[in-house]
Amino acid sequence: MRVPWKWLNEYVNLPWDPQEAAHRLTMAGVCVEELIYDELGVTSVVSARIMEVEPHPTRPGQKVGILDTGAEKLQIVSGAPGFEKGNITLVAPPGACLPGGLRIEAREVDGVLSEGMVVCSNELLTGQAPRPLEDIILLPAGTSPGVPASDLFELDDWVMDLDLTVNYSHCLGILGVAMEAAALARRPLKLPEVLARGQWAGPHGSRDPEPNAPGNPEFRLDLPEPEACPRYVGKLVEDVRFAYSPVNMERRLMLAGQRPLNLVVDVTNYVMLETGQPLHAFDADQIADNTIIVRSSKPGETLVTLDGIERELPENTILITDPSGPIGIAGIMGGKHTEVTKNTRRVLIESAYFDPLTVRLASQKLKLRTEAALRFEKGLDPTAQTAVAERAAALIGSLAGGMPVPGYTEANYLDITPKRILLRMQTVERLLGTRISAETCREILERVNFQVDQDVFHAQAPSIAVTVPPRRVDIHGEVDLVEEVARHSGYDSFGTGDLSGAVPGGITDPKLLCVEKIRDLLVSHGGLECITNSLISREDLARLGWDSDDPRGNPVPLQHPLSSEESVLRTGIIPGLVKVASSNIRSGIQGMFIWEVGRVFFPADRSSDGGLPLETTQIGLVSYGVLKPKTWLGGPEEAGFYHMKGVIHSLLNLLGISDVKYLPKAGMPFHPGRSAKIAAHMSTVGEIGDLHPACLKELDIPVPVTACWLSLDGLLSMVKPKGFVPPSRLMPVERDLAVIVPEEVPGGEVVEAIRQTGRHLDSVALFDVWRKPPVPPGHKSLAFRLVYQPTDKTLTEEDLAEDRERIMERLRKDCNAVLRS
Amino acid sequence: MQESCASGMDHDLRDLAELERLILQQISESSTIDELEGVRIRYLGRKGEISALLKHIGNLAPEQRPVFGAAVNALRDKVTQMIAARKAELDREALEQSLARDTIDVSLPGEVFELGGLHPLTKALREITSILSSMGFTVYESREAETDDMNFVKLNVPKGHPARDMQETFYLTGTTLLRTHTSPGQIRGMLALEGKLPVRFIVPGRVYRRDQTDASHHPVFFQVEGLAIDADVTFKQLRGVISALMNRFFGQDVKIRLRPSYFPFTEPSCEVDISCVFCKGEGCSVCGNSGYLEVAGAGMVHPQVLINGGYDPEEVSGFAFGFGLDRLAMLKYGIDDIRLLYGNDKRFLSQFRGL
Repeated sequence: MRVPWKWLNEYVNLPWDPQEAAHRLTMAGVCVEELIYDELGVTSVVSARIMEVEPHPTRPGQKVGILDTGAEKLQIVSGAPGFEKGNITLVAPPGACLPGGLRIEAREVDGVLSEGMVVCSNELLTGQAPRPLEDIILLPAGTSPGVPASDLFELDDWVMDLDLTVNYSHCLGILGVAMEAAALARRPLKLPEVLARGQWAGPHGSRDPEPNAPGNPEFRLDLPEPEACPRYVGKLVEDVRFAYSPVNMERRLMLAGQRPLNLVVDVTNYVMLETGQPLHAFDADQIADNTIIVRSSKPGETLVTLDGIERELPENTILITDPSGPIGIAGIMGGKHTEVTKNTRRVLIESAYFDPLTVRLASQKLKLRTEAALRFEKGLDPTAQTAVAERAAALIGSLAGGMPVPGYTEANYLDITPKRILLRMQTVERLLGTRISAETCREILERVNFQVDQDVFHAQAPSIAVTVPPRRVDIHGEVDLVEEVARHSGYDSFGTGDLSGAVPGGITDPKLLCVEKIRDLLVSHGGLECITNSLISREDLARLGWDSDDPRGNPVPLQHPLSSEESVLRTGIIPGLVKVASSNIRSGIQGMFIWEVGRVFFPADRSSDGGLPLETTQIGLVSYGVLKPKTWLGGPEEAGFYHMKGVIHSLLNLLGISDVKYLPKAGMPFHPGRSAKIAAHMSTVGEIGDLHPACLKELDIPVPVTACWLSLDGLLSMVKPKGFVPPSRLMPVERDLAVIVPEEVPGGEVVEAIRQTGRHLDSVALFDVWRKPPVPPGHKSLAFRLVYQPTDKTLTEEDLAEDRERIMERLRKDCNAVLRS
Repeated sequence: MQESCASGMDHDLRDLAELERLILQQISESSTIDELEGVRIRYLGRKGEISALLKHIGNLAPEQRPVFGAAVNALRDKVTQMIAARKAELDREALEQSLARDTIDVSLPGEVFELGGLHPLTKALREITSILSSMGFTVYESREAETDDMNFVKLNVPKGHPARDMQETFYLTGTTLLRTHTSPGQIRGMLALEGKLPVRFIVPGRVYRRDQTDASHHPVFFQVEGLAIDADVTFKQLRGVISALMNRFFGQDVKIRLRPSYFPFTEPSCEVDISCVFCKGEGCSVCGNSGYLEVAGAGMVHPQVLINGGYDPEEVSGFAFGFGLDRLAMLKYGIDDIRLLYGNDKRFLSQFRGL
């Protein structure tokens, strides 16, 4: 909401400059997001008396006048109504500037020199030509000539742009802001006369400013749905004539972000901005049968709204109707047919209370977020309707000569018993950590127009009974009053404290601890951590060959995604990482080893709580290209299956998982001949491999890419606390063993056979694979280094030879191996 | 030989002197350890000449023996000494040669170890976790997909509440959604503790909002929620914890300001502003010339939220805070576009390797 500074100061005389006031309000919760100096750029426009007027010699309708600005006499040609001898008006002499950078120059009108122009309101405020039926500005008779326009009107002003939190509906009117500012400055609030009479700011809410007036019998009112519209006040103003609003009112509306239209409509907007209560003005003569019914929409009903758009009215929209049909959407926008025009003579001012949620839902369905809707949906003072209607009627009456008809057409189903809340000083201290006396609390609350009953002061457990003004719909309980006291004391005034009691903190969840260690390990192995979007597209999954047969091809979709690119939850980490690889390849990055730890999601199964998707944590790894450049010492080190497998080996080592098998051939997106399922303790915990060439083609990636995923939850279930074995006193012994096996025998099986058969074997490391002569075709030679670690006695050559024979016997049998001599 | 020895001791002594000269010459002319060893064996070996002379002493007349014996022993000692000295000399020369031979060009580059790195968000989170750990906060990881009930209703945001506009939501079904903040972790964390005190944990993680991606918005981003509940937790302590966190994270000169605000699940509620880390509060484009940056929302846990978490607001009180991890990381590292965080360009990520 925009609050013009001079308008605000009409209600409270603040001892601050706008900057200071903005700061104080912000620090009390009325957040001033921006302070803007709004300048029209009007210069040298001054008051002038029209000395004499004669008809233009040749131009019918045009007159030639002599105007006295005090400093000079100007001859000016004008055809505007009101350009009559004796009137005091505003004149822009040659050299004067109007908004939009318009510079006034002397000119000839049909042979008669015109030294400047007489300025109407529209020209003064917008630099645009006069509107239809617009008169020149008539200044009060006592105005001296030569007074600058900026001294006569609020042309340039500071505007505070508020960013109000949704609870501060009481600040959706400038008076509400003034009330906060008055409390902060400890200055009195100056209310417009009608509102003061209606006790608008009182702790019990507004009263009917005309309690003794008879109800208005001319209009009939029916509120068949009091939940949606519990209160409706219609105020009739008769004998209205068309007019534009006074300059200052138009300017204030503009400063507040509203476009001036005509006096009646402007007054409803002005009073809404003033009080926060939205109003609507109907041309009363257009309301059929003088009857207003506030009811829900019927199927198929439409309404042409004020903006000229014909709208289909969604079901359960609350409408203002007359017997002929809808004439307005309650709390949102009026209808075109009943709008106030230049011909309007009788005006019905609507001042109602609509259910916030009903307005909000209708406004959302209609996608129509009007100033009125924004106010109704936050909740308004349910007592203010008559006082505010009266204020608007009085303004129209005083400015356009209309005659407010005493009394109202009114129905009220609201029970407005002000809330009373007990505020215990002990609660204040318990929450804020600072003692604040009951007296101070009382003072603060009274300053914001709460009523405090002193009779519940107790020395032992002091507390005060607080009556909450109905305007403050945000105050529900004791803690809300604590905030009220706190924000008017200043949040920064309570000092700083420490949490009491030493409590051990840090990561205690074993899973999180493991994740952090895995992160460190991957970093130490050269991996760069990525964080990718967990919202991806179905195409991302399809490109990896995960179709509807695969659980990973059936992601959890968003109901209303922003784009198809981010429309489903990821079912794997790899799709995101592959995209990262692809974009880096396109950026010319020669190689990368990247990883991510994060959640993946699968549709809820029947056992999951509340229909929530299953969430599991996955580690994803992707690499391509040159990881270490060739140097004079060797290299380059390339990404590939065995690099990745080495990293996984380290990772599993870290977790103490040693019973791991790589079962050839993982599914998509992997190359069938260059991939494996990773099985630990007989269950699959992940997959590793080079990407399938078809996937690379789909992804438009021109280089081989290796990827791996591991189920963190799967791995962690296998982590067991490990003991240790004291190191043997005996030295380890190394022996090499080379065997020739047929090509189709997997090397891993040979290693496994050696490991299982050898006694006192500490490790088996493959150090060479040879496929050329003298190894016969279709065979390979595998060379292993065996490290024996004797535990109780030194191993003799005989022992070692015996072990070698035992191993060879097994290899001959199981692996079709022969010893390579 | 026996004849000649017997023929005259003077002659023998002269021979000894000649022998000594000969041996010493051979020693000094030995240029390798092996040559020197040859000399030693030739004269001092069991069958060596000096050994023979020592055996020869017995053949001499008794009166000649002491004189000749002393001379031969002296010769043996001297030769032994000289060989040892020469050996040390040769050893030193050999070492020097090997040192020269083994000298390397230390200016050549060493083996390349490609250093991996953590994502800047992880780095920032680790730092924050460590700071808050020191104040007794543990880490609780909550769900990313949530129920409407946990994400909103249990946090005092019923259906139709205007506060729902503050957070544009991705719904999965009518009742399930992607959490719009880490705050539902407050409820889940409290319920997991089953009423035990003190409650002191943080909930870091991804949150989701229907925001179009631009320099400061991304539909997926990270928050860190903090919750402390005990018999005597106050707003004053909230300030203490937030100040300590910001001062440790951004530096001691950062000033804290608490500004009244509104969150349905806290009351009183505040925004946490820190003095701008770029202009030190002077006013710049980053802080919109205000000198302050909004970094977190916080407040005293609303009584209804305590009840929803299984705690009695008459018995305990608590504070909660939540901040955008992305924002803190961006301010700390001077990153001006959130898209860099999720773009994962190697040239960006590589800069965050190391400390």
